[in-house]
This record gives sequence, C-alpha cells and structure tokens, in this order.
Amino acid sequence: MSVVIETPNSPRTRNQANWEKYGWLFMRISGPLLIVLVFTHLVVNLVLGEGIKAIDFAFVAGKWADPFWQYWDMAMLWLAMIHGTNGMRTIVNDYTERVKVRTALNTSLWAVCALLILLGTLVIFTFDPCPAGAAADLLPSFCPALTS
Amino acid sequence: MAEQAIAEVETFQVTLMIRRFDPEADQEPKWVDYDVQMFGTDRVLDALHKIKWEVDGSLTFRRSCAHGVCGSDAMRINGRNRLACKTLIKDLDISQPIYVEPIKGLPVEKDLIVNMEPFYKAYRDINPFLIASGTPDKERLQSPEDRARYDDTTKCILCAACTSSCPVFWTDGQYFGPAAIVNAHRFIFDSRDEGAQVRLDILNDKEGVWRCRTTFNCTEACPRGIEVTKAIAEVKQAILRGRP
Amino acid sequence: MVTMPAGTLYRGKVGMWSWVLHRISGVGIFFFLLVHILDTALVRVSPEAYNAVIAVYKTPIIGIAELGLVGAILFHGLNGLRVIAVDFWAQGTKYQAAMFWAIIVITIVLVAAFTPVHLARVFG
Repeated sequence: MSVVIETPNSPRTRNQANWEKYGWLFMRISGPLLIVLVFTHLVVNLVLGEGIKAIDFAFVAGKWADPFWQYWDMAMLWLAMIHGTNGMRTIVNDYTERVKVRTALNTSLWAVCALLILLGTLVIFTFDPCPAGAAADLLPSFCPALTS
Repeated sequence: MAEQAIAEVETFQVTLMIRRFDPEADQEPKWVDYDVQMFGTDRVLDALHKIKWEVDGSLTFRRSCAHGVCGSDAMRINGRNRLACKTLIKDLDISQPIYVEPIKGLPVEKDLIVNMEPFYKAYRDINPFLIASGTPDKERLQSPEDRARYDDTTKCILCAACTSSCPVFWTDGQYFGPAAIVNAHRFIFDSRDEGAQVRLDILNDKEGVWRCRTTFNCTEACPRGIEVTKAIAEVKQAILRGRP
Repeated sequence: MVTMPAGTLYRGKVGMWSWVLHRISGVGIFFFLLVHILDTALVRVSPEAYNAVIAVYKTPIIGIAELGLVGAILFHGLNGLRVIAVDFWAQGTKYQAAMFWAIIVITIVLVAAFTPVHLARVFG
C-alpha cells in the first residue's frame, strides 16, 4: 500500500503589499515606550501609597483630573493595543495554515483593537469625575458637596 | 603504556531509537530501537552504518563524504539538529537511548530522508551567485577587510540543520529560513557583488527576515559554527539602511 | 495520509525558551489588557459599578494572580529589550544568553520584593 506524502510547504507567494518591515519597527519603537508607560503605571497604581487597596472610582477620578495622566493613559492604551494586536497577528500568521481562518482571525483582532481603542479614548476624555446623583462618599474629595 | 592506550579503544553497548517511516507500508512514522556495540571513536553515522550493513538493510539515510563537508547527513540527534558524521557517540549520554529523527519542517520521504526541495527553492530564490557587470581582464580584487565582512557566511554547506531548527519554519514553511538568508548575506556584503539591492528587496518580503524571532536555534545547530542569528540581524539592519 | 511526524520536542537552548516565554507572556498580557480596558470603562457607567468590579481585583485569588501578571509584564518588557539588543547591538548575539539570565534574575528579584507589599494589602 502506498502513501501519498503531503507537501506542507506550499510555494511562496510574492509581491504582496509589504508592511512587515514597518510592523517589525513599530514593535521595537513602541516596546521601550511601553516599558516607561506601563512600569510607571504599575509603580503608581500598585506600589506607591496604599497600592491596590486604594484603587476605586475616586482614585481614577483623582488621576484623570490631571490632563497629564489622561494623555499618559491614552498613549498607553493606543500603544499597548496596537503592540498587542500586532503580536497576536504574528502568532496567528505562524500557526494558521488555511488562508480563510487566518484572515478571519486577523480581521477580528484588528476590529477588537479598533473598538477598544475607541471605547477607551472616549472613556478617558468624556469622563465625569463628579456624576450627578452618585453617593458622595464614592466621589473624589474635590467634587462639590451635593446639598439636597 | 602508551601502546596499550592506543590498542585499547573503549567499547560500549548503545541503544539507538530511530524514527522510521516506510511510505509503502506505514501510515505514520514509528520509533524502532537497535542495540549496537560501538567504539569510543565512533560517530552516530558509524552506528547507522552498522545497523544498515549488519542488522537491517532497509534503514534509509543520506550521507556522502561522511566528514562534515558535504552537508548530507543533518538529522535530529537527541532532539537537536546535528550532522551524524560529526557527532561522537561518546559525547552523548549513552546510559540513555540515542534518539535519531529526520530534521523537522520538511516532508519525510523515508526514514531519515526528507524532501529538501522547499529548502533549495528558498536558496535559489535569493540569487546565490555573483552578480557583477562587465568582463574583467583580471581577477576582481578585494581587500582583506572587505572580505572579512562576509567570511563567516561563506562556510555554509547547505545541510539545512539551521533552517529545520527554526520554530518559525516548522509552522510556516513559507519563511525563507536561516540558510537562505545566510547565503544572501554572503553576497550582499561582498564588495564585488552588485546585486545587493535585489537581494535586500527579496528578503524584505512578508516571508523574509522580519519573520526571524531570534530564537538562536539556528546558530546553535550550525555544524560549521556560523553565527546565523548575527548574520540575519546584519541583513535586517542593511534593509533598514537601504544598503549593505 | 501522513502528517508531519511529531517526534521528540526540539531541545533548543535559552534563546528558544526565551521566545516561548515571550509568546506566552505576551498572549497573557494581551487578554488581560482587553479585560482591563473593559473594566476601566465602567467608570463611565457609575462609581458603584466600577467599585464593584475593582473589588474583584482585591480578592485573594486574583490578588495572587496579579503577582503572575506583574512577573509576566516584567519579563516581557525586559526580554523585549534583549531582542532589540540582539537586533541592533553588535555584541547582542554574543551576550544573548547572559542577558536572558540577567532578565530572569531581575524579574524574580522585583516580583519577590513586590510580593510581601502587595499581599499585605490584599489580605490586610
């Protein structure tokens, strides 16, 4: 009985639009930036002061009252999402064999990425630190006391 | 005393576990074990010969020069890509069976023989020959410094130990692979060659140097000691610079 | 039909294992990032909703898992710098193994220093 040996390596396809170089460079530029952004984020939120114990609505509101942290978190959001999605894309490209599966996975990855970047950015910049009708003890100290 | 030491080469019993596959009989590869008596001066290739000549003539593997030059007998020995003719049995842990398998990522044809065509295709694709204009009256001169730039990558014997040790190549055979990039490096950084831009363009491909994840398996596997990962890094930098 | 023979696991050295760890930590951080953006987005819903979800991060099991997350982020970040050194620094390929072990030591030391501080808050 004879067995047909499959050729797992189909011939190379050439002359596609090539963004790989820019993707590769982006990972190496965003990486060091993310180290600064994320490591600072971890130290400020988890090490300094009361650490995780102190994190609540008032903590976030206090941070985002300062545009510095708004832009800090926005940069972190954008760079981390694109860096992460591009990394996931590399993994998908390495381990998927069928073109349809690959395209479907990569399309969903970038759709999720765009959606979360949009959501996150909107949240950072439309955020109201003193929402009307909220219990006063949950709000940051700078909110005007609600008199009823 | 000295004479005695020469006369008595140590011998030992070793077990070889060989990954065998007969396309006419087997559905999938299987491990087969062989016990052989070997000498301290023997290499894995000698053990394979002994099995083929004395135990089972159907054992199939490639070898030609048997001295680490032709690059025919790259195989996976105890989980690592090695040339069978350069691996001394006494250097392996002989208290355990020695596992011998075909190199990974290329289609197995029979036993330890794989189809090398996808590997050679990638090699051909990078134009592995001198591209130079004009017909010189005398030899093309080159300074020792210029020659030193690509000295390391001239040593390749195309055994495929590097390419078939690359995790990216295993899962995506479209990747050019370390050997093709090493051989492109050999001409890209040759001052007499004029085809560098063409080769840099070819390797700037979706399946080119950017797929390298610097796992160093290739550098570690190379029987010629070529610093493969370093050569690939130099090609990456040349593409970014736009010139060698 | 014959598929690729599985055979033994390739016995690569630290370069290969650093790549495996980089991938695993990267995927882990990516999925945490998705969750983290969604939970932070709750500040836009109401203070109560955000505080309720963030309280989960302060429970013992998640609190301990956060140590793993911090370790993964440290390793992934530092190993990323190692990869950049291999790609751009002429001596990078020579010292890649030494750099890997340095990263492992730094990661372990920092996580070990952070552990008592963090757990005292989680269990305190």
